[in-house]
Amino acid sequence: MAENALLKAEAVSAGYGGRMIVEDVSLSVAPGEVLCLLGHNGAGKSTLLRAFFGLLPGRTGHVAVADRSLDGLTPRGVLLTGLAYVPQERSVFPKLTVRENLRMGGYALDDAALLARRVEQALDVFPRLRERIGQLAGTLSGGEQRMLEVARTLLLDPRVVMLDEPSIGLAPRLAEQVFSTIRDLAAQGRGILLVEQSVKRALAVSDRAVVMEMGRIVLEDSAAALASDDRVAKLYMGAAGKAFDQPPR
Amino acid sequence: MLAFAEQAVNGLMMGSIYVFVALGMMLIYGVMHVLNFAHGALFMLGGYVAQTIFMRVFDNYLLAVAGAVLFLILIGALLERGVFAPLRGNLRNQVIASLGLVLVIQNTVVAVFGPNALQFPVQATRATVQLGPLSFAVQHLLIIAVGAACVAALFAFLHLTKLGTALRAVSQNPRGALVVGIDVEATHKLAFALSMALAAIGGALLGPLFLVFPQMGDLPLVKGLAGIVLGGMGSIPGAVLGGLAIGVIEATSTLVLPTDWKDVVVFCTIVVVLLLRPQGLFGLRTRDDHG
Ligand SMILES: Nc1ncnc2c1ncn2[C@@H]1O[C@H](COP(=O)(O)OP(=O)(O)O)[C@@H](O)[C@H]1O
Ligand SMILES: [Mg+2]
Repeated sequence: MAENALLKAEAVSAGYGGRMIVEDVSLSVAPGEVLCLLGHNGAGKSTLLRAFFGLLPGRTGHVAVADRSLDGLTPRGVLLTGLAYVPQERSVFPKLTVRENLRMGGYALDDAALLARRVEQALDVFPRLRERIGQLAGTLSGGEQRMLEVARTLLLDPRVVMLDEPSIGLAPRLAEQVFSTIRDLAAQGRGILLVEQSVKRALAVSDRAVVMEMGRIVLEDSAAALASDDRVAKLYMGAAGKAFDQPPR
Repeated sequence: MLAFAEQAVNGLMMGSIYVFVALGMMLIYGVMHVLNFAHGALFMLGGYVAQTIFMRVFDNYLLAVAGAVLFLILIGALLERGVFAPLRGNLRNQVIASLGLVLVIQNTVVAVFGPNALQFPVQATRATVQLGPLSFAVQHLLIIAVGAACVAALFAFLHLTKLGTALRAVSQNPRGALVVGIDVEATHKLAFALSMALAAIGGALLGPLFLVFPQMGDLPLVKGLAGIVLGGMGSIPGAVLGGLAIGVIEATSTLVLPTDWKDVVVFCTIVVVLLLRPQGLFGLRTRDDHG
């Protein structure tokens, strides 16, 4: 693991109401790196992201962004430390306008002038949203709503962005757009933690990947190496049951 | 025509009272998805607090209303923390708790103030204004004006301020609100405070007209709910127009039908509207959005 990791998680365990779902997870994301988190449905990927973001009480272990600890912080504190999160389920506000949604993305900012500037910057990155600035977010297409969610994370100029299945439900062309946006974010030096179901597409945009199974990380390698790994191929083919009989040595 | 104008103004006055109730309930419903059935009892408590301050402390109506607002905000904070927050995530128990609160509040008021109606003789109920050939009690016009001012202030708050926008955001997508760092708990407290302020103002405005008594909130609660259903569950503009419409319909119906029939007219109107538009006048037929 790189010394200069932007996002660093050590021995994180978390779950719901005392029942642990993810256990003893350690990972790191370097600046400019896209780390992909793979795994079957129910493996605990979304739970892990929620835990990082401070949404699950009783989380143990340590999470830090740029060496600043997130332990015990509220979501607001996590955001201000530099970690942003696009959850798997829709997170736009359907009856707020696009502009109001973007402003809410900067809710944690107290500086109104800075917020206004950041809204303009986000609109420069997503001209499509500028065209729809006064529209209610609920009237946008699925792809545009995803774009709005990603654009909204930029309002706090995050060091690390976590995206949970951002391409889900999108037509292939729109999914490509989302992935190219993700690459752009990484090119700006941000760290990206990406959860994806479609393994092939995910490995194509990622630098490195970890595979999660039953709440634990069972495999970790460069995206290129994993793309040619036949255990991942099995996962990718959607083979029933466990893709890994035992954790790698 | 004159009689109609007179009843229309009376209707707008009672409608404004219903709007206070409907808006207060929709604010809490919007963020917590709970219909607070104790709202009528809290409205009544607002009337009592204002009356008590007016009769025994200041003899100043404005201060009495302000005192009632502060007192109810305090009570609301205690109820939110002590009753609703611990039941978070259990909508059914929250609704049952709100029904239980009705009994607690009404019985407490009876124990403290007795069961009889109390006078609340503010000057504005005796003073009249001449509008052309018609004359109205100042209190009637005051209720309409204060109602309009509160609605305008609430709209400005919800649409023009960051905090107000956050309140709408929470009501539309609480998980999305967490993701952008909105303190969802704090918005619940805020919604409660605003709701209580509206209940207090409503009770303190109605008390001088119809006396202050333990059941004075019951009818406004039912009619406020009717306004909510008419306007569309979860819609703030719907609550305003629905509440006003109920007031005007019931008042003008007395021109052609016996007074006893006004509730029948109101509820028939609601049935017809719901048959034609099940989501209410302003409700949207979508799953999970409010505000
Ligand atoms: N809100 C929740 N409450 C309780 N259990 C949950 C909740 N969300 C997910 N789980 C459980 O946690 C496990 C992992 O789910 P999740 O993290 O959503 O997996 P993934 O994102 O990898 O598909 C599943 O067994 C799921 O049933
Ligand atoms: Mg998931």
